[in-house]
Amino acid sequence: MTFLIQQTLIYTIPLMIVALAGVFAERSGIINIALDGIMIFGSFVGALSVYIMQSGDMLGGNTQLMYVIAMIVAAAAGALFSLLLSFSAINLKADQTIGGTALNMLAPALTLLIVKIVSMQDRLSMPKALGFIISNPDIKPVFKPFFDKMFISTYIVIALFIILSIFLYTTKYGLRLRACGEHPQAADSVGINVYKMRYLGTTISGALAGLGGYIYIATIASGTAEGTVAGMGFLALAIMIFGNWKPLGIALGSLLFGLLKCIGATYASLDINGDGICALKELGLPIYFYNIIPYVVVLLVLAFASNKSRAPKAEGIPYDKGQR
Amino acid sequence: MKKVLSLVLCIAMMLSAIALVSCSGSNTYEIAVVTDVGQLMDKGFNQGTWEGAEAFAKANGKTYKYYQPANGADATDNDRIAAMRQAITNGAKIIVAPGFLQATAMTTVAIENPDVKFVFIDGWTLTDAEDKALPNVTAVVYKEQESGYLAGYAAVMDGYRKLGYTGGGGGSNPACNRFGYGFVQGAEAAAKELGLAAGSVTVKYSYQHGANFNASAELQAQINGWYSAGTEVVFACGGSMFESVKSAAEANPGAKIIGVDVDQSYASELVITSAVKGLKESVGKVLDQYYDGKWDSDLAGKTQNLGASDDATGLPIATSRFTTFTADKYNELFGKIKNGTIVPDSEVPADANNGDWLNVFDIVVVDFE
Repeated sequence: MTFLIQQTLIYTIPLMIVALAGVFAERSGIINIALDGIMIFGSFVGALSVYIMQSGDMLGGNTQLMYVIAMIVAAAAGALFSLLLSFSAINLKADQTIGGTALNMLAPALTLLIVKIVSMQDRLSMPKALGFIISNPDIKPVFKPFFDKMFISTYIVIALFIILSIFLYTTKYGLRLRACGEHPQAADSVGINVYKMRYLGTTISGALAGLGGYIYIATIASGTAEGTVAGMGFLALAIMIFGNWKPLGIALGSLLFGLLKCIGATYASLDINGDGICALKELGLPIYFYNIIPYVVVLLVLAFASNKSRAPKAEGIPYDKGQR
Repeated sequence: MKKVLSLVLCIAMMLSAIALVSCSGSNTYEIAVVTDVGQLMDKGFNQGTWEGAEAFAKANGKTYKYYQPANGADATDNDRIAAMRQAITNGAKIIVAPGFLQATAMTTVAIENPDVKFVFIDGWTLTDAEDKALPNVTAVVYKEQESGYLAGYAAVMDGYRKLGYTGGGGGSNPACNRFGYGFVQGAEAAAKELGLAAGSVTVKYSYQHGANFNASAELQAQINGWYSAGTEVVFACGGSMFESVKSAAEANPGAKIIGVDVDQSYASELVITSAVKGLKESVGKVLDQYYDGKWDSDLAGKTQNLGASDDATGLPIATSRFTTFTADKYNELFGKIKNGTIVPDSEVPADANNGDWLNVFDIVVVDFE
């Protein structure tokens, strides 16, 4: 049981933060379909920075510090990368879906090119694992899911998630940002700089996606950047819609999805009540069944929830000052 | 503006044409390695083959080059054919290709190019449409079950009781299955020798995740689950997927790994030993025979099945991290395999994806996933 919760959390964290990244962009009026690409780019830059730090024996081998630095670097890289989208979508008023798709195609190609130059093969591995910030094998099982075998990123992401949700809903800037996604003309009429707010939203979005991408490879994908994040960015996008563009919904959606993904990977050795019997394995269903569940569930939920779906009204529409 | 642009384009085209000519004109590479699925530097199978060719070429002043078929893990026969043809265009006289997946591609290219020699690692002699062995192909297979046996035996002797084996999504790969089957047999033999009770040694056996022996998030989660549930050591039978098993082991205190193909002790502190096959040595040996002019007499159309008696299987005991299993004990057992006293069974059924064939042991219980 402990394992299931821990593993679910590991899957949930990157999904959650990247879905929030989507919220920030879309709430400001920019469709950020490039989440996947930004994740790929961020993951690569993060892995590269750790690679450099570890092979250069920097920081006295303090892996947790390296991890934090790599997260910051990955977030910065994601933010920079997303500026391409902001520029095309805000200044050039280009179609946002096409711009995002272009980034999704650019990111793996660019990443693989640099990876090949750096490591002479298709993948860049971090030399050493970054490890956990805390390990308490002896504490009570009740606390284990949150205080044993924890990555520092888990706490950072949860904190960030809460802070940014508060930012979006209770601060002046959050309100302005949301206004730009609903009715930019109205926002402009009261003196809000729509371009600036949209840049802000997309840049935060890029930073979070880059961060999520790096956390994904550091915690789930064996610390290896190879020009893919296995479609996690698109899953995050689906979770964002699933969560109705609201932080709480997203948190629940990522948890559900993380749980299903986790079950898909580990169902055969999952012993939930600790009686030594792996109930799911006893069912004798093929592995494919468990692997498709998460996607089927998302399809179903999206299909049934689409009536209540409330997307930001002005998302995807380039803001034109002349239009009223 | 347009004129300037077209001028620039013209110059760029000319330059690239010159570059191409200089590429194909002056540089030829006699020895070519065409890799299997997975990466060249996979710390395993491809790398072992490559290092063998590289070492031979360097020692004998031959030119050499590797070719990775396009599309990486999803490479098709066409990609492999393209890579082999590319090697021949670049002047390859002998092509070393590891991996049984290369059979179709190699047959095609070998028939096209009767003057080029092919070394097929992990495969059997190839035949043409009339079922005659191709004279320009030589095949090398290994008795992986012997290395697996040694690894399983050593692990149980060293005190491990809950073992795991993952074949990385390659259920039909015969070499992998021979490793795994040998591993279970070795564990059984050691358990019998120690007089353990039936059921006291368990082996989790899976091919579920890690398609094409690549690292994958699912594999990492699965192995993490194994370790969390008490599995002490996992035999990671594949190339890049080692990374996933390593990451999972690093997350669980006390977890250990058994490597495969080449000595992987340098890749992680957690590797207790590796079930090796002498890729490097045998590639070097075959190349040596070829350059000695012994192709027609010794190699043409033949398959070498290398094992302990050729020193092509075993464990790198010097770099192994056992606590109680000693080198003497290893040498004793290795000697028995070498002289044929112990012959691990290598008969893996064609339908290996059904775990029933592994439920034939008295003490070891195989938990097939």
